[in-house]
Amino acid sequence: MVTEQSLEIMYSGDHWVARFTAMASPCEVLIETREECIARRAAAIASQCAWSIERKFSRYRDDNIVHRINTASGAPVVVDEETAKLLDFSDALTHMSGSRFDITSGVLRRAWTFDGSDRIPSQETIDEILRYVGWHKVRWERPRLRMRPGMEIDFGGIGKEYAVDAAARLIEIELGRISCVVNLGGDIAVRHPRADGAAWRVGVEAAAAPGSPIRTIGLRQGGVATSGDSRRFLLANGRRYSHILDARTGWPVPDAPRSVTVLADTCTQAGALSTLAILQGANARQFLIGQRVKFWIQ
Amino acid sequence: MSDNDPSMAATLAAATCALLGAGNASAADDEGDRWSIDSALLYYGEADNRVQDISAAISATRDFDDERKLTLSLTVDTLTGASPSGAIALDRPQTFTSPSGNKTYVTAAGKIPLDDTFLDTRYAATASWTQPLARLYTFSAGLGFSTEYDYTHLGANFSLARDFNKRNTTLFAGVAWSQDDIDPVGGAPIPMSQMLDAGDQSHKLGSDSKTVLDLLVGITQVLGRNTVLRVNYSFSDASGYLNDPYKIVSVVDPLSGDTLLRSPPSGAGPTGVYLYESRPDSRLKHSVYAELKHSLGRPVLHVAYRFMTDDWGIDSHTADARLRWPIGAAYFVEPQLRYYTQNEADFYRSSLRADEPVPQYASADFRLGSFDAVTAGVKFGGTTSRGGEWSARLEYYMQSGDVPSDQIIGNQARREQYPDLNAVIVQFGYKFRM
Repeated sequence: MVTEQSLEIMYSGDHWVARFTAMASPCEVLIETREECIARRAAAIASQCAWSIERKFSRYRDDNIVHRINTASGAPVVVDEETAKLLDFSDALTHMSGSRFDITSGVLRRAWTFDGSDRIPSQETIDEILRYVGWHKVRWERPRLRMRPGMEIDFGGIGKEYAVDAAARLIEIELGRISCVVNLGGDIAVRHPRADGAAWRVGVEAAAAPGSPIRTIGLRQGGVATSGDSRRFLLANGRRYSHILDARTGWPVPDAPRSVTVLADTCTQAGALSTLAILQGANARQFLIGQRVKFWIQ
Repeated sequence: MSDNDPSMAATLAAATCALLGAGNASAADDEGDRWSIDSALLYYGEADNRVQDISAAISATRDFDDERKLTLSLTVDTLTGASPSGAIALDRPQTFTSPSGNKTYVTAAGKIPLDDTFLDTRYAATASWTQPLARLYTFSAGLGFSTEYDYTHLGANFSLARDFNKRNTTLFAGVAWSQDDIDPVGGAPIPMSQMLDAGDQSHKLGSDSKTVLDLLVGITQVLGRNTVLRVNYSFSDASGYLNDPYKIVSVVDPLSGDTLLRSPPSGAGPTGVYLYESRPDSRLKHSVYAELKHSLGRPVLHVAYRFMTDDWGIDSHTADARLRWPIGAAYFVEPQLRYYTQNEADFYRSSLRADEPVPQYASADFRLGSFDAVTAGVKFGGTTSRGGEWSARLEYYMQSGDVPSDQIIGNQARREQYPDLNAVIVQFGYKFRM
């Protein structure tokens, strides 16, 4: 589902804005420079980075490492360094979340369809699928991964935030201390404060409904990520089920906030904390207070 | 593992460092920039040198932790120009005593009389405080004060909102109270008293006052991912001095419809018989307002309707539509169209017949008459890279009204009875944080 579209670039006041689409999301790069060639280079780095991460880790393709892992039918798969790092990071998140977060939980989507309807799967269906869920059932001995047949991994929960930080880092490596914003569908990293110390103003969609304000955050440096999506839910028995599933039960997290936005040093950390917070359900706020980060809950 | 393990941040930082490599600086937001300043400059100009208003407003909002918020605002506006006094046109010049009571002015033959001594500067200040009360409640309280040379306003308001249904539904209720003191130039005329010669103040009293109580209840409902509906009902109870102290009604010959003539004994005074208007000393209004916002992809459509009815017999309808259309990432254009219509108050009288007893209530103020108005406008705005938001708005207002046919007597039919009103509105706004 890679949609490599043309890159649009334009000058806006005192910086360049580049737009493209990656990971089915509108993406934007803001670069503090007057030089069009520098802006074009930064935009090309960011878009190529996002597209290549999408190609490499999308579960919708049949020519990448994720596909090889998911179709290995119990055979061990030797993975490259980048994939290994992502698996290590997922492993850390699973431990930090008390196994609520799990990259093998994607198969539960076969049971749950979050389209605003009231279709709730039977417990039998969930139990059946849960046989294929659980990071503890996976043998991960770097660089070798071995899963039971029928199990699948999905980097959907961390891939976009990782791509944001990776793109920002590549821009820094090639172009030096240039102030830029990388925004992939609302997950954002700002590298280096602007020359005059002013903040970049980045819009974060706080609620899906029009009219509710898009929260604007003034960011000098750091990462912002939002988890939860008020557009994807189920309504049944008068209860609203979020699309975030608890990997331990196979059920949506009860009483989860609609969305959690976190500001942290990197977009990856912000994304991890916002996801872990949602998995805490009603305790999301308390959890985030304990992490001493700036956050916004809807 | 504990959900609030303090070492989690360090664990996550280490895991992130392993994933991304070292060298990530600490997050920094604009926490210090907590004042949000909103400034606006507005020009309102009626055609034919009627009312011109220039208004400058600035408001500052300070955000505190836990969504507590203080807002302070200051507005200065200057009104100049002339407005219709309520007297009807005549085929000969008419002389009136000015509101101050010490000089006279003349309106040319065939013209609707305008009182051109209109000049005023108003200063207004408000302060409000908003804070969450419990998890789903938001409380707000405010104070307002304004002063101009003949009018002082003091107001207070409170409101409470509660979210339901995962914040898809918000119910709110508010109450506002105000006390207004009116100290008209030359004193407040006794209702239905006759306009006297310059220098004669025997029909005028000192100052007066009114109080207004407003109640508001409403609901905001999210109707799916693209639509929000807001409906509210408001009730307003005004009591006290509700007259416009500068408005008059012509007394006319029951056959010709011409204003009864008068020879001012002192030489400087009205050349016709004019009575100061009289309105009831209370007014109850009910209004219902519905507003729908719907996003059509990036453009957002906003439609609203208001119905108001009061015990003065006025019913009004307002329909409003706006479409906010983004242009690129930084700009938008927003065309707007508004229609307003109202019928006249029960005691609206364009003139009073000399052969009828003086009614208890009568006003020829065109604002209490029957009229329609269309406002067409466009707003253009954008954001600067520093996060400042600017906008420019241009609107054209076209009002036309009529006097009920059973109130038109004799010669009045061939003269202009209800003047059209056209006005231009230009506004510039700039909003920024510091």
